[in-house]
Amino acid sequence: MPPPSLLDNILQILLNGIASGAVYGLFALGYTLVFSVLGVINFAHGAVFTLGAYLTYLLIGGAVGSNGLFPGLHLPFALPYWIALLLAAGLTALVGLLVEATAFRPLRRFEAEPLLYLITSLGAGVILVNLMQIVMGAEGYSLPISALGSLPVTVRIGEAQVRTVQLVLLAVAALVLLLLTVWLELTRGGKALRAVAEDATTARLLGIDSAAMIRLSFAISGFLAGLSGGLVGLSLSITGPYFGINYGLKALGVLVLGGLGSVPGAVLGGLIIGIAEAMVPGDWSGYRDAIAYAFLFAVLLLRPRGLLGGPQETKV
Amino acid sequence: MAAADVSRFCRHPLSANLPLTPGSGSSVQPTRPPFRSRAASGSPHRRHWLPAWLAAAAIAVPLQGCGQGSSNSSALPIGAVISLTGNASVFGQDQRIGLELAERHFAGQTPALQLLLEDGGNDELTATSAFRSLIGRSVLALIGPSLSQQAFAADPIADRAGIPVVAPSNTARGIPEIGPFVSRVSAPVSQVAPLSINAALRRNPAIRRVAVFFAHDDVYSTAESEIFQKVLKQRGLNPVTVQRTNTTDQDFQNQITAALALRPDLIVISALPNDGGNLVRQIRELGFRGQIVAGNGLNSPNIYPICQRHCEGLLIAQAYSPEADTPINRRFVEAYRKARGGSIPPQFAAQAFTAYQVLAEAASRLQASLPNGRTLASLPLKEQRRRLNATLLAGSYDTPLGELSFTPGGDVVQKQFYVAEVRMNSDGRSGRFALLP
Repeated sequence: MPPPSLLDNILQILLNGIASGAVYGLFALGYTLVFSVLGVINFAHGAVFTLGAYLTYLLIGGAVGSNGLFPGLHLPFALPYWIALLLAAGLTALVGLLVEATAFRPLRRFEAEPLLYLITSLGAGVILVNLMQIVMGAEGYSLPISALGSLPVTVRIGEAQVRTVQLVLLAVAALVLLLLTVWLELTRGGKALRAVAEDATTARLLGIDSAAMIRLSFAISGFLAGLSGGLVGLSLSITGPYFGINYGLKALGVLVLGGLGSVPGAVLGGLIIGIAEAMVPGDWSGYRDAIAYAFLFAVLLLRPRGLLGGPQETKV
Repeated sequence: MAAADVSRFCRHPLSANLPLTPGSGSSVQPTRPPFRSRAASGSPHRRHWLPAWLAAAAIAVPLQGCGQGSSNSSALPIGAVISLTGNASVFGQDQRIGLELAERHFAGQTPALQLLLEDGGNDELTATSAFRSLIGRSVLALIGPSLSQQAFAADPIADRAGIPVVAPSNTARGIPEIGPFVSRVSAPVSQVAPLSINAALRRNPAIRRVAVFFAHDDVYSTAESEIFQKVLKQRGLNPVTVQRTNTTDQDFQNQITAALALRPDLIVISALPNDGGNLVRQIRELGFRGQIVAGNGLNSPNIYPICQRHCEGLLIAQAYSPEADTPINRRFVEAYRKARGGSIPPQFAAQAFTAYQVLAEAASRLQASLPNGRTLASLPLKEQRRRLNATLLAGSYDTPLGELSFTPGGDVVQKQFYVAEVRMNSDGRSGRFALLP
């Protein structure tokens, strides 16, 4: 059988990159919402992402593994995957609110330095991860491969192929981006959130409940974290309670590359980092993180605000 | 709050199903004072969420560093440093179960031993700190750490102090050579790895094109892959590609599509259970139908829920088989299944059990050999350790891994290895390692 042509190789690299990049972008959307409103990074986002994956797994009837608190335990019901995913995302939205109430609101009350938010959110994240390890154990879990029903496992385009679940992830990332953009640009709630992002004090004077808007941004961020966690769990499996941490670090790079606080920038940054990683030759694939970050470093030297970053007033 | 009350919180949940026997390591010491309740502290009633996180932290802290110790003060302390947190906790938690089962199994032996567990984390610094902490508690011997790269940093500390160290899972080259007090019950990769390649080639002699994947950030996987590649070359098979991965990787699409483009007949993987199981799943989803050989890192039932039905047919060389039909292994498997909801014990639990067993049996033999009914505890600590090490290395042991003894340098001499094929059950989420004839 002849080896694939150059065109096939390029197509495969693009497909690989877009598939990985969609995950990064979806993850970074939650980061960017909170950053745009409060100007700080929520380091608990990775833990909420992991929680979303575990909740989806449990809601579809998955059992706790042998290292967990109650080995073999499972819920008395099993929901279809898409319902479980949305329900898990709803629950992680509540956890997002809990993180806001515990790790952010008390500091906001005292007008604390931004660095302190990083520490409290990191602490909240570490505690969540440890609690998940206690309950679920350290082993990995996979969501059932059959969750996508009768869809084929892979889609072939020429000689290139991609797993269908990754195309689903890409579609969800695009849909979320569209909905978020429409909401932020065209609705009263979205405009109120943008006003709070621009200047919370002025927004409050104009009659906007800034505190409610901040809570809303955490709830949406938590929802997106849970949604992306459940989707990544389906695509790549849940490789233990720490698996959101790696995405958290990568998504930070994505956030900076796309432009801090920029919603479309998060998705664009994700796609570019994904494609940059996919271009790393196979023999060097173990070093792809280093190469991707070197690329990020070079781009930021040329454009420190990121690709779609602008002055504060244009964010969100 | 009394120490006995605190122990309920400090006891690790993994031991929840293990009814710990009084006097055999049942109570747990807190590493920090308990938090006072609001009523007790008299703090004003404020709407503040900080106490909630602190309470959560109090629950979570045991994973980070609770020392576990026996209430039997005359027992001789055996320290164990294993990865209870971090990415390596997938082994460490298995090892913890193995150690706790061993402690219960050998609870009636003399001298009585007391297991002290410390979290070795994922890195060298945490492991060396845990070693120092246990050495400060005058342990008779140490078990651990979980990872080879941690052993290279931590074991020299114990060796210089003249404390026997038994490694339950360090398979890299050079571990016993760290010093005269370092030994291991984990067979080196050079003994185990070739067996599965040979089995794959026996099954399909027409194999010509081999793709190799290995986790290059893991000492064990790197060493194992070197052995795999050496064996392949000896059999006249040069790998068509060698793909490097990281143990923290989750998406392997790039590496897999690059490898599959070269049309391999056989894929050989050296990785750990989570990343390796994920890699197998994605290789199959992307259409590879040939034979996959996996290294010893994937010798764990923990891969079943990850690669699911795609685990089917995986060939793995094993240093431990739950199907080995020996009395001690049957008892171990039964105890493990009873404690862990019917699960099959993984190799790391069996090796940890064995590490404790060889120390317990060596201590027992040593005490029996002392003249005039003297006890081991009556000897100076330094002498206890020196003699225990000598007795340990001189003995042979009937363990769940099979019959074991040691070379004078401390490397394990294991008589039985296995090659198994994964057979998944119809639910696609559970299976077994069926031994090849």
